[in-house]
Amino acid sequence: MSETVLDVRDLEAGYEPGVPIVRGASITVRKSEIVVVLGPNGAGKSSFIKAIAGLVPITRGTVLLDGKDITAAPAHTMVRLGLAFVPQTENIFPLMSVEDNLRVACGILERREAPARIEEMYAMFPDLARQRRAAAGNLSGGQRQMLAVARALIVHPKLLVLDEPSAGLSPKFVSMVFEMLAGIRKAGVTILLVEQNAKAALATGDRAYVLVEGKDSHEGVASELWNDPVVAELYLGQRPLSAEKTGHAEKGGAA
Amino acid sequence: MSLQFVVDGLLTGSMIGLGAIGVTLTYSILRFSNFAHGDFMAWGTYATLAVVSAIGATFGKVAPIAPLSFGWPLLVALVVGMAFTALLALLLDKVLFSRLRAQGQAIIVVMASFGASMALRSLLEFSFTSRPTYFSRAIQIAMPVGFGIRITPDQIALLLLTALLVLGVHLLMTRTQIGRSMQALSQNAALARIVGIDVAGVVRVTWILGAALACVAGVMIGILVQIRPFMGFDMLLPMFAAAILGGIGSIPGAVLGGLIIGIAEAGAVQLIGAEWRAAVSFIILMAVLFVRPIGLFGVRER
Repeated sequence: MSETVLDVRDLEAGYEPGVPIVRGASITVRKSEIVVVLGPNGAGKSSFIKAIAGLVPITRGTVLLDGKDITAAPAHTMVRLGLAFVPQTENIFPLMSVEDNLRVACGILERREAPARIEEMYAMFPDLARQRRAAAGNLSGGQRQMLAVARALIVHPKLLVLDEPSAGLSPKFVSMVFEMLAGIRKAGVTILLVEQNAKAALATGDRAYVLVEGKDSHEGVASELWNDPVVAELYLGQRPLSAEKTGHAEKGGAA
Repeated sequence: MSLQFVVDGLLTGSMIGLGAIGVTLTYSILRFSNFAHGDFMAWGTYATLAVVSAIGATFGKVAPIAPLSFGWPLLVALVVGMAFTALLALLLDKVLFSRLRAQGQAIIVVMASFGASMALRSLLEFSFTSRPTYFSRAIQIAMPVGFGIRITPDQIALLLLTALLVLGVHLLMTRTQIGRSMQALSQNAALARIVGIDVAGVVRVTWILGAALACVAGVMIGILVQIRPFMGFDMLLPMFAAAILGGIGSIPGAVLGGLIIGIAEAGAVQLIGAEWRAAVSFIILMAVLFVRPIGLFGVRER
């Protein structure tokens, strides 16, 4: 078993005190893996990774990145700690040029390293290189997603965390985004993502967790999980879960 | 009609524009209208005056620099005054604005700035009385430069200083990491944090920049007109009009807006009478809000 990059233990988090959305979820991400977090609507997937990224208050549990405790570190310190987060929406600065979007993210790099690193991103995403002077707000949906990912990768993160990278994209772009993620993993970056699009995510991912009512209820190899009847039932949400199975009464937590 | 109003307008416009930079930065980055900005101007000017007096008391009378009405003591005092004004703004943010900002209601912060404005102004009146005062009582001879325009050496120097400062701020905003961070914060505060921008640090730079420029604008008024506790408050409407005319968040817009309002005011004084001066910025402000609410250089949120 290769080394653990991210170790989340018994995480409880939520925006309001006493109303946790994430209720004791645990996951592990190993080096160079793509790990997918799935779950029905309102399962707290998005809050879960936002809590890891320091954007949702954590009330219990620990988050270890490369063995270092980063639980509830302020969001702006996360890139320095090695965790780069790509939000689902509004993940670029629309009025700034493509290049300035990349430059502004280079704050933790050595001043001399930044220009070369930007060129490396252009080499990885030629579409962005062609539009480096354009306002980022003028990019297409798929290109915006590329820019957001490039912006996150530019600081050499140990872990890339993405919140529904395929949300709102047309099917053509969805497959493009997942090909891009597979390519990034090949370059040695460890990836954790949350997805609604289970089929595409499981096709690209190595392992997956299913989050139900704020807890991790299933874990497995991505390709096998897709065929697991329990998971299909959980994920597709065709039948309500019995309370015993999840340890929680039906409360319908918000996402 | 004499073209003198163009020079007068450019001068007034420079002061408005330098002040409007702070207004537009505070509005776009901290997301509130800071009504105390004018009083930063007045406090900066009085601080500068105090330092000039202190230097005078220590070194005796210093001769002014060649054709200008002021000497090195004023330049040194200006730098000290800018630092003082920046500290005042940082202090006010720490004890007042930042706490209210954390509660998340913009209108409360705006009202607090209104209260701070009154308190700051009253403190000035209390300490320095409301009688106008001057950096220098020397009278400068205006030189004719053609087209019926006359200009004093002080005026030329201050126009140049304005141009230099505006260029500097523009380069800071577009070419440096702190400038890009300020732009990023004004566009999306949550994402700014995610990309690793220390929001508290950027907020501090915003206050320092806005307050220091307000001090310069105030000292310009002090050199060319007079120093009064109300000098900043009287600039508030023109500054807001300039920031909105230029498009909130735009530095070149704020400066151009200031120049347009300055020239319009000066023109109105010459054409229809001095009592209409104050109405001009109000009319321009209303017209912009009706016709093009995003201003000259403003951009619609996407």
